[in-house]
Parts: sequence; structure tokens; C-alpha cells
Amino acid sequence: MEQPPAGTRAEHQRIPGLGPTASICPVCKRSVPAEVAVRDGRVHLLKECPEHGRVDALVYGDAERYLAMQRNIKPGESPLERQTELLDGCPRDCGICPEHEQHTCLGIIEVNTACNLDCPICFADSGTGERGHGFSLSLEQVESMLDAFVRAEGEPESVQLSGGEPSIHPQIIEMLRAAKDRGIALVMLNTNGIRLARDPRFAPALAEIGVHVYLQFDGFEDATHMAIRGKRLQHEKLRALERCADAGVSVSLAATIERGLNEHEVGAIVRFGVDHPAVTGVFFQPVTHSGRFLIDADPLEKLTNSDVIEALCAQLPEWFRADDFIPVPCCSPSCRSATFAIYDGDDLVPLPRLVDIDQYLDYVTNRAVPDLAVREALEGLFSAKAAGGTEPTAARLDCVACGVSMPAELREVAARGFMIVVQDFQDSYTLDVSKLRRCCVSEIVPDGRLIPFCAYNSVGYREQIRAELAANGDGARPTARPASR
Amino acid sequence: MSAASPSIEQLLAGGDVKACCAAAYEHPLIRWLLGEELHPGGDATTRRALELIELGPGDRLLDVASGSGASALLAAREIGCEVVGLEYGEGAVAAARVQAEAAGAGGRVAFVVGDAEALPFEAGEFDAVLCECSLCTFPDKARAVGEISRVLRPDGAVAISDVVADRARIPAELDGILATVACVGEALDEAGYLELLRRCGLDLIEVESREADAAAMAERVHDRLRGARIVAADQLAGLPGGIDAAIELTAVARQAIADGALGYSIFAARHPG
Repeated sequence: MEQPPAGTRAEHQRIPGLGPTASICPVCKRSVPAEVAVRDGRVHLLKECPEHGRVDALVYGDAERYLAMQRNIKPGESPLERQTELLDGCPRDCGICPEHEQHTCLGIIEVNTACNLDCPICFADSGTGERGHGFSLSLEQVESMLDAFVRAEGEPESVQLSGGEPSIHPQIIEMLRAAKDRGIALVMLNTNGIRLARDPRFAPALAEIGVHVYLQFDGFEDATHMAIRGKRLQHEKLRALERCADAGVSVSLAATIERGLNEHEVGAIVRFGVDHPAVTGVFFQPVTHSGRFLIDADPLEKLTNSDVIEALCAQLPEWFRADDFIPVPCCSPSCRSATFAIYDGDDLVPLPRLVDIDQYLDYVTNRAVPDLAVREALEGLFSAKAAGGTEPTAARLDCVACGVSMPAELREVAARGFMIVVQDFQDSYTLDVSKLRRCCVSEIVPDGRLIPFCAYNSVGYREQIRAELAANGDGARPTARPASR
Repeated sequence: MSAASPSIEQLLAGGDVKACCAAAYEHPLIRWLLGEELHPGGDATTRRALELIELGPGDRLLDVASGSGASALLAAREIGCEVVGLEYGEGAVAAARVQAEAAGAGGRVAFVVGDAEALPFEAGEFDAVLCECSLCTFPDKARAVGEISRVLRPDGAVAISDVVADRARIPAELDGILATVACVGEALDEAGYLELLRRCGLDLIEVESREADAAAMAERVHDRLRGARIVAADQLAGLPGGIDAAIELTAVARQAIADGALGYSIFAARHPG
């Protein structure tokens, strides 16, 4: 792999308070020392592999905001149970190892590797035919993974079933129900929507269990669909949403955003989302240079959270400004920013305009938090376990509205707040173990480990587990496809 | 505001501007929209005003139009002075007394109902006077400042913080009765305030512009009114012209602040003695 031109260290400015950290070499994956530095107002991660040389990766496009949000880092909470011991040091002992500083807000279970699409950018390297060769978990395996999650968290609030394409797993409905049966309030299905569009019984089945759909939705232009998904999907996405609306299934749109490709569509995606009866939120995810998308990625051209926020503010200036997006206290503020908004079909007002949220989520400079119950509710809202339009989120929004003495009518609408999240995942270029130790999104794997999501995708865990499961015979089974209608 | 209270429109119909202003500021939704401070910059602006007049421990301070009593309590708590808060609205005075009791400041802070244009105090009774974001709503400003001058002891000082408007450049929409309630329409330009102080025999100490605070407050009010409109809050139906007019007015005010035609300043002046 050719090294991108890296700036010399002299051109970068060290950040006081952000000490040296560690990362991995994107080529050989060995652990290497790393440091966070600023150049031209942007935050970079610098590291050097003795064999593969120096890497300079863009981490965040706005250094000023990156520094300011360090005060939003919430002290960690321990899980009830840790699954691994300390042997080789972060990020080699996942997880969760004794060094990890955070519990898990959101557990992800990948039920299969097979998919009904062959997206050019798939971080999970899934696909149809041979590409989907890997594994397909049994219901019993998924149940034991859910039990491991319950043992680790006590009362886990959010789980997402993913893949592959989980909707084509023949027992996906039973798996979703198994999660609900364990008292998990927010059970999400991460899907491309093809089965939802084609199988009229699927959305009603999800509605009956109370599943929230996390629907890949990258934009409206054919060029976007072709580049990200390799197929024109607009018609099927709209059909899937229509079926969700009819069945009463709430949906978060999950948009993968790539520089120079669909950044210009972020405003249109929000406008579409707030007007659609099924859609209760949008998640923007800068594309991850992992899995199939590692090759040819330029780590200095990576789109970061601040770029997405700036694009959204530029496209919808009447609705948003950058400080409407609150850096989340858990896991790391630079990994995720979020806002909630009220909307009446014409005007939209973000919640931070109505509540001084910074007063509650500043863990450094604060003298006294006005109301600890409000802080706790805000911590739940601005976290990986929240999704717009779901019951736990509505209850927390109402608690905040009540705690700040919002007038009654406003309270009622605030509880239905539309959620917008900008979530950047780390890849092998940007992996910073000081952030990874606070990661609260975990891949639950069949042996009961909870592996922080960004480690799972960049360090080699994904490849290892897939190979093991395939070798154990969990993978050779062909997966039934839903009937086309 | 309880159902028994007269609506803003009823008060306006009666031509009672002062009662109307006071009632508007007692309205729970208006209070929520503006926050507890009811003036740009909140406590920071109050602290700066008190600093400019060098208020010290043990001084006797009069807070004219003391509202809910937040600034009076701040002065007592942080500087250790004795404070009398004077306020036209009876509800606000009652609420301020409750606040003072809750803060355990009952001994050093008193609140009285009264008219800024006829202060119920003896000449030279106070070491200092504070008048925040309210002078511009008084119909007879010269009389109010004259009263402030009268109750100040020789060498005592006053801090007036208020909206500053360049009358020639202020958009027409900002005039009128609603703008009076919103502390804009009757504001003077800087020269106007200076002339007022001079005519009342007060010597200027300093003028300090707080326009960034004004811009932030106007934006906050604008956003919160938009939030209220989204839920069609019929609580705001009492505002003359309804909520759309109020939103339009705040938009015009924000533009005027950006253009420099509208701002917010602290005027500190001394009684010559």
C-alpha cells in the first residue's frame, strides 16, 4: 500500500492535555504509539510503524470544537461483568477487559454474513453468493449472546441485530422476540430494507414485537446508490418506508456519508425524514475505511463528524447551527454528536435552543448542575442507546422538559423530538485507544465477549471470528431468501 | 398568568402601558422565553454593572424595576450590600419576597411595590442605584432618572443598563406598543442616554457596550418563540398580533443588532454631591 504524504511532526501542534496515546498500523495491525495533534485547524492522529512507516490520519475537521468538547467526557461506568483478562494490552484483549473504562450502551449482534446486496463499501465484507460465505447464527447462539449481554449489563436497554443482512435470516423474527423477551426496551433491526419492501408480512411482524428499524438510507440520487450500494435502490427504500408507516413501525434513517459523493444530500435527507410519518430520526455515519473499503482510502481525505455537521448547517441554515449538535458524554464526544428537534411541518427548532444543555453536560468546568435528574435524562438522550420516537427516549425528553419547567404544550411536543445523530466510527487509520477504552458500542460475539465496535472492525477481530465460525460449520448453511412478491 | 388576571390586550385597551409591561413580564411563558434574568447577558451583565459603580459591602443599593429579584439577591449575596428592590408588578414583588426568604436573605433584601417615576424614598437615601433593562419602558424617562438622582447620596453612583437604539436606522416594525413591552421601541440612542444623565445632574463614569449579549438574547427569544409556535401555544394568544408578529419582531430586532442600529449598554454615572 502506498503511504499518503504525511506532514512532518514540526508542522503539527501538540494538544495540551491530550497526552500520547496508542494505535495500530493499518497494514500489519501491530500496536504503535500515536499522538493527537492539530494542523491547519484540524485534528490529526500521527503514528509510525517500524516496518510500514508513518501514517497521518484526519480525525476531526474542527480542532477548536474538538478541544472544547473534552469537557463533555463523562466519567466511565463499570459493567457488571468483564469477559477477558489483561494480557497484551489495548486493543488486543477485547472484551470487555479490565482496562476498559465504560460499560456497553448498545450491543450489536451480527446474525449472519450473507446479504442480498454487494455494497462496494461494506465494512463487514458481506454480500451475496461467495461473498456472503461466513456464518449464520442459530437462534440458540443468539439467545446465549443476549444472555451474556444481560449478565454484563444487568438491564441492557438497547440492542441492534445486524449482519450481513439480518432480515434474510430465517429465524430473525424469533431472534428479535428473544431480545424483547429479555426486557430490552429498544430492539433495533439494521437493514437495507429490501425484505421490508418485498415481503408485505415483514413490517407487521416487526410491529407486533415492537422493533425499531434502522434503515440504510444514503440519499436520493442514483449516483449515491450506485457508489455506496452498487444498485439503484430508491424505489425499494420508499416502499420499505411506506410499509413501516402502514404497520406503525418507527424508523431511523442511517445514512453513510462519503466526501465528494453524498455530502450534498444531508439536508435533503433530514427534510425527507421529518416529513415522513414512519421516520423518527436520522443517523449520519461518515464512511468507515474498514472491511472492503480499506483499500485505496486516503486517511487525510476522510470525512469527519464536523464536516457532516457543517454540511448540514450550510444546507439548512434556517434550522441548524453547529452548536445544536451536542457532543455525547458517552462514549467519546468526538465520536458522536446528536440533537433533538421539534417540527410542525414547516419550521424546525433544535432542543438546545430551548434548553441550556451545556449547563448539564459539562463535567469539567461546572460548579453545580441545576438538576441531577435532568442531567441523567440528557445523558441517556445523548448516548448510543437512544433512538428518536422510541419509548425510553420519549420518557427522557419529557423528564428534561419537565425539569427545565418547559410550558406543558411544549413538553408534549418535545417528547416526540426528532433525533439527528452524527456518528463517526474509528478505522485502522484513526483508532485511538484512549477513545476506544471509553467505547460503549459493543459487538456481542458467540463466545460471550463484548468487543468494542471500532476494535472489532479495525484490529482484526471481525476477520478472526468470521473465520472461526465458518470453520466450525456455522457458515456453510445456505441462507433462505424471502420470497419476492 | 392566572385566568383571573386581565389579558395583555385588556391592559393595553385601558391604555395602561406600565401595567401592561409588568403583566407581560409576569407571564409564565414570557418568563420561560426570556429566562430568569430578563436582560441580555444575565448575571454577568449585572456583575459588570455593579463593578462599574464600585458597589461595596454594606452599601445601600436601590434596584429600580427589580422584577423577580434575581439581581437584588445577587448583589446582596455576592457583594454583601443591603438592597431595596422596587417593582411596579405586585405579583413580581410577592415572588421576589419568596425568593429572598428561600435564599435566607430576608434580613438584607426588601422588596416594595412602587413607581419608578415617583420613588417612595427620601432624598440621598442610597449609596447606589441599579436600573436594568427597564428605563426604556418608562414613559417619562427624565422624571425616572431625576428620581434616581434625588435618592442618591452625594458621590453615590448609578448603573443603568438598557437597550440603545439608533432611532434613524431602527426599522418601523420595532416601533409601537409591542416593541415597548419588548424593551425596544422606546429606547434612546447613546447620546440620548448621556443627555438624560446630564440633564438630571449626573456625571458619566463609563459607557460599556454589551451588543454580543443582546444578539444572543434576541436569538434565544426568537428560537423559543418559534418553539412555542410549533406547538401552537395558545398561551401566547394574548400577545397583540399573536405569535407570528412576535417572531417577526424578534427577527427584525436580530437584524437591527447585526446592523449596529440596536444594542445594549451599561451607563455608569455619579451624583456630583
